[in-house]
Amino acid sequence: MNPSSTENVYLPKPAVLDRIVSEIPEVKTFYWHFEDPAAQLAFKRFRPGQFAEVSLFGVGEFPTSLPPSPTEDETFFTVRQVGSCTSALHHLKPGEKFAVRGPYGNGFPMEQYVGKNLVFVAGGIGLIPLRSCIVYAMNHRDQYQRIQIFHGAKTPKELMYVSNLEQWSQSPGIECHLTVDRASDGWTGNVGVVGSLFKKPGAQIPVENTVAFVCGPPIMFRFVIKDLLDMGFDEQNIVSTLERYMKCGVGKCGHCCIGMAYACLDGPVFTYRQIKNLGEDI
Amino acid sequence: MKARVLDRAAVLKIVDLLRAQGYEVIAPFRGRANDTCFDTVTGQNRNEIVLHLPNPFYPPKRFVFPPVECLLSVHRDNGNIRIEPSYNAPKRAIFGIRSCDVAGIDHLDRFYLGREHRDIYYEKRRANLFLVNLVCSDPDRDITGDCFCVCADTGPAARDHFDLQLMDLGDEFMAVAGTPAGEALFADPIFRHANEAHVAKRRDILNDVRKRFLETTSWFSATIRYISQGKVLEKTWEEIGIRCLECGGCTYVCPACTCFTVSDRQVGPNEIERVRTWDSCALDGFTRMAGGFNPRRAVHDRRNRRFFRKLAHYFIQRELSMACVGCGRCVQVCHGDIGMPSVVEMIRRATSELEKPELVNAGAGEK
Repeated sequence: MNPSSTENVYLPKPAVLDRIVSEIPEVKTFYWHFEDPAAQLAFKRFRPGQFAEVSLFGVGEFPTSLPPSPTEDETFFTVRQVGSCTSALHHLKPGEKFAVRGPYGNGFPMEQYVGKNLVFVAGGIGLIPLRSCIVYAMNHRDQYQRIQIFHGAKTPKELMYVSNLEQWSQSPGIECHLTVDRASDGWTGNVGVVGSLFKKPGAQIPVENTVAFVCGPPIMFRFVIKDLLDMGFDEQNIVSTLERYMKCGVGKCGHCCIGMAYACLDGPVFTYRQIKNLGEDI
Repeated sequence: MKARVLDRAAVLKIVDLLRAQGYEVIAPFRGRANDTCFDTVTGQNRNEIVLHLPNPFYPPKRFVFPPVECLLSVHRDNGNIRIEPSYNAPKRAIFGIRSCDVAGIDHLDRFYLGREHRDIYYEKRRANLFLVNLVCSDPDRDITGDCFCVCADTGPAARDHFDLQLMDLGDEFMAVAGTPAGEALFADPIFRHANEAHVAKRRDILNDVRKRFLETTSWFSATIRYISQGKVLEKTWEEIGIRCLECGGCTYVCPACTCFTVSDRQVGPNEIERVRTWDSCALDGFTRMAGGFNPRRAVHDRRNRRFFRKLAHYFIQRELSMACVGCGRCVQVCHGDIGMPSVVEMIRRATSELEKPELVNAGAGEK
């Protein structure tokens, strides 16, 4: 045993908050960078679907997905204010410091999906982890076939990344379908659950040679999975990312252990076939 | 492995040798209420070390993985933050650690130092730890009715993972070195060469001790198979869950439990410590996320978790070691009688019922 050879996996590095953008009620995007440029460079090698641990000293640490694509310049988190740590982040002001470690987890195997159709189905803030893959796929547009995005929210005000959605819907070769549960504010688009979009003319999902990325609240997840399986999707071609209570992010603290997997090491990205066998609520 | 013998009267000289080398020596003592515990040896209590006594209730795990440990010290200064790891790895020796607890530390080694990430806090402490294993050779004083190391294959004599192993042969003790550091102690004149008669005596005592374990047995193999194959019925888990009082006691006395939680505490106006504390999968909040969603709903989901983590083939293979060492502490602590041997038996009985072949109706062939 040579103690000097081991790095401290629990040691986060100081980061500076650059600016905050409000997305939807209670959800904001925090642009930040590491104080140390070398740390920033090392961190930027993350894969779509990986996550990071964010430290707000005096409050605690929380895991959060990485919505940027590694192909983008800026690093940011999109976080809903829900517990003590996320509240502390929401109360931070630009210029203030916190700390980050990571990236952790397996991420989506985007290189395995080269040559396939990509379908993204996101309910509410489920679009946060999928944003990374969407931007990644758009930046490698020639590597993938058809790209479809289905995004649903409770109300038009709660659609995530509105400016991105506008930009994506205008990009050639990207099909963007939106729906809301309750129409308001002059909404003229579809009203209904995400699954109701699949039957729309022009929005049919090709089953052959397609990978479906599904992320959203448990009830939406169950119904979308049922729709996809009914269409004839193989369980292995449906992928999602799970969230769990985590303390370490490196497979030691034991909190995120589901069935035979550690969400932090073996996940957070799992195929539906794996999720089905984990034996816990999603 | 090299073996030596030493006189009974010279055994505590090993403690002195280690203390002279700068080790903080931890040894078993009797408390005032006839309880037993591990404590630091000082000049005053050195002669009160007891070699043969029931294994202390709290395992020596805490000397490599403390119940509360500061990971980071954070200083705020004018908007800047300075983060410094805080390492505390004293040179320590555990004198008289039993074979089950040696296996427990071996399991912790495999867990914290194996796989993708190594735990540097554990690693630093482990590198400074010296283990003097004492074989359970006195069935009346060393073994309690709850011991089942023979089922977990960790005792009564550990095969490896110790620096030095001692075994009581009566007038003499046999000493076996497990590492070069342990062998270096043999330079002291208290150690003499062992002969065939010593080895034969050791074998005879161990053969006798193996037969003297009391009624507790834990027939792991069938249960491991049932759990790994997913054959255990939900009903069986529920029965186990009903008996769990969710006190977390089993995890706190377990020498092979590894889970922890991390929290921050303010220790000064601009000073914060990040502290890790033992955690227990028996507790309700273990998997509850911010916002209240808890993927493990009922108590039996959590009990299921503990035994699945310890007994599923997948995890045994992951660490190449089972997270149960047969020390029997969970049996002693559990108010609901769902210590490891009871659960193994409940699962084995309930599940083997299902596996019984259908009997051919004896009357069917007759006219």
